[in-house]
Amino acid sequence: MLAAFRGYSPDVASTRSDFSSVWSLYLWLGVGIAVFIFAFVGFALVRYRARPGRSPSQRDEHNTLEIGVALLLVAIIALLVFVTFRTEAKEDDPTAADAVKIHVVAFQWGWRFSYPGQGVSVVGNSNHPPNFAVPVGRPVDFSLTSSDVIHAMWIPEQRFKKDAIPGKTNRFVMEFDAGGHEAGQRILRTAAHPDGLRRLGPLRREL
Amino acid sequence: MAGLASLDHKATAAKVAIAATFFFLLSGLLALTMRAELAQPGLQLVSTHTYDELFTMHGSGMIYLFLTPAALGLGLYLVPLQIGASQIAGPRLALYGFWVYLCGGLAMYSGFLTNNGAGDAAWTGTIPLSNSSGTPGVGMDLWVIGVALATLGSLLIAITILLTILRLRAPGMTMLRMPVFSWTMLATTFMVVASFPVLIVAMGLLLAERHLGGVFTGATGSIAYQHLFWFYGHPVVYVMFFPFVGAVGESIATFSRKRFFGYRALVLSLLLFTSLSMAVWGHHMFITGAVKNQYYSLTSTLLALPAGIEYLDLIGTMVGGSLVFRAPMLFALGFVLQFLIGGLTGIVVASPPLDYHVNGSYFIVAHFHYTLFAGSLFGLMAGLHFWFPKMTGAMLRERLAKASFWVLVAGANLTFFPMFFLGYDGMPRRVADYEPRLGDLNLLSSIGAGVIAIGVVMVLVNIVVSLRRREPAGNDPWGEGQTLEWWTTSPPPATNFTSLPEITSYAPLLDLRQAAAAESASDLSRHIWRQRSEARGVER
Repeated sequence: MLAAFRGYSPDVASTRSDFSSVWSLYLWLGVGIAVFIFAFVGFALVRYRARPGRSPSQRDEHNTLEIGVALLLVAIIALLVFVTFRTEAKEDDPTAADAVKIHVVAFQWGWRFSYPGQGVSVVGNSNHPPNFAVPVGRPVDFSLTSSDVIHAMWIPEQRFKKDAIPGKTNRFVMEFDAGGHEAGQRILRTAAHPDGLRRLGPLRREL
Repeated sequence: MAGLASLDHKATAAKVAIAATFFFLLSGLLALTMRAELAQPGLQLVSTHTYDELFTMHGSGMIYLFLTPAALGLGLYLVPLQIGASQIAGPRLALYGFWVYLCGGLAMYSGFLTNNGAGDAAWTGTIPLSNSSGTPGVGMDLWVIGVALATLGSLLIAITILLTILRLRAPGMTMLRMPVFSWTMLATTFMVVASFPVLIVAMGLLLAERHLGGVFTGATGSIAYQHLFWFYGHPVVYVMFFPFVGAVGESIATFSRKRFFGYRALVLSLLLFTSLSMAVWGHHMFITGAVKNQYYSLTSTLLALPAGIEYLDLIGTMVGGSLVFRAPMLFALGFVLQFLIGGLTGIVVASPPLDYHVNGSYFIVAHFHYTLFAGSLFGLMAGLHFWFPKMTGAMLRERLAKASFWVLVAGANLTFFPMFFLGYDGMPRRVADYEPRLGDLNLLSSIGAGVIAIGVVMVLVNIVVSLRRREPAGNDPWGEGQTLEWWTTSPPPATNFTSLPEITSYAPLLDLRQAAAAESASDLSRHIWRQRSEARGVER
């Protein structure tokens, strides 16, 4: 409801918040497991260090324990895969009503953003970053390709990237939220596979 | 050890070890140069083109020329000894494999001597960047040829190890009596035999593409190349991991004075790992939009199952043991705890919505250096310190070894932990420059790289000092060896063994000690009982 109030279309991926919910599950589960194993190994190192007059146990198997741990692992895997698939289905869906279309072409070493039907396009490179605008609260439908080698378009603040592959167009839809703290400027970077920092920005939004 | 033409598997393994060490130091120098460049924002030391060569050759050198051959070389040395064989199957093939690998490595590095420099299309050689218009020049051709030859050499060595395991086990050495390390080598060589030919073919096709064209064309061609590459590229990660799990397992069991815990579960988990290893490659392609992400996400997350069982077994081996903290044990513990961070972050990147952010960033660089450096290299160090006395007949200096362990722990974590934050905050990998706000963490990481270099020098000094002023190691320098290599002399004779004990389990020497202890205990109790009864008789 809150999301609707702020202008989200609930079926469109807000990649940043989708990322955050999955991330926090993985992060805290991972931290929990790491802390447990570090603590347990630490305990074992103290408890079972060699001391005179004590001989080591001769136990070399514990099938109930092995099976129990295996079942626990399967349960954790099932939870992770469930949460991942649910979010993935949303993020991979390239359909959205009322979306603003932007065509993006990557090349060595720059980007061209064009707005079909509006006669507008923005070109830039590392030295002259392209300023391109996205609307807030309205889905943006990106069509991404490349004219030479494989690049990747990464918007760190949106927690999202996609490959720009020559001869292939990758489509994805995302929504930019106003968020409050940022006044409409963000940096768009590309993780180009080969070479050099390709800084693109600032990314303007129409507030 | 004698002679370049010696067919002894130990001599061939020594050659592999020397060559792998050479390429490790060379590729490590490239890493130091990169970290020096990255210590401050801006370009100070190298051009972006040179930087491309640096990260390409660092990654290629470490994977194709160091960790993979080192893992197989360790197996080439130890597997015959562990399973009671007097030689490797196909000693000529193994020696030939070494020379092919060495030629590949030299070809790859000789690219630096050409006009356009060495290969600079990353260790993956992704199409179309690696084709003749993306990366022209002989250096890139030499890279392609080098990768193909080094991989062929590794494949040949792996075949000899696999055949040795299948054909040359000593009488009584059944499959389920093979030591843990030999089991990890069996799983490793399975993966090598199934996946390395695919890379060799891919490199042949890439060379054809570069000179004739028309092989990997359009989007289909570039995606096809990635499929071929990663079908090799994921199993190879476990080729660089399993043997060191084995080395760590043997070290932990020996210095816990206990039999390896959960042996049969470990064997099952290795086999599950091996089969999954060839079903997960698409997770390197989540952001291409060209694979079914859910399938690869499912298989990749499933890896947590065999990995979790291996952790249970490694830690379970310590529980109830009588732990002695010699240098190999410290490195083994370093492996267990540090690899954990690499493994857990591996589960993170098996989730596409998370990978969409961290793919191609320093988060990935941190992740795989925790698996390959903080993990595999520490496992290799555990194996080195554990088996060095067996291989050379000389003990390593214990205090220096322990000091180098702590320096390497500090260096590894200082170098690679900040990279998780750098990647999350938006620093792409394979860049020579970055935003000024990321300067502090990069500086920390660069300092860490220097600390690693000190640790590596300490290990090398230890090896040189220990070989020059030898402290002789007996057959079983740890006094608690469990497997057959500790039965024979250090270093072993040309035929490995002059006699073999009865092989009763995967820890035959431990069986012997326990039987002797039980016998002397029963002798002792019989003796006490007799004395007591005699004493009672006197009283009566």
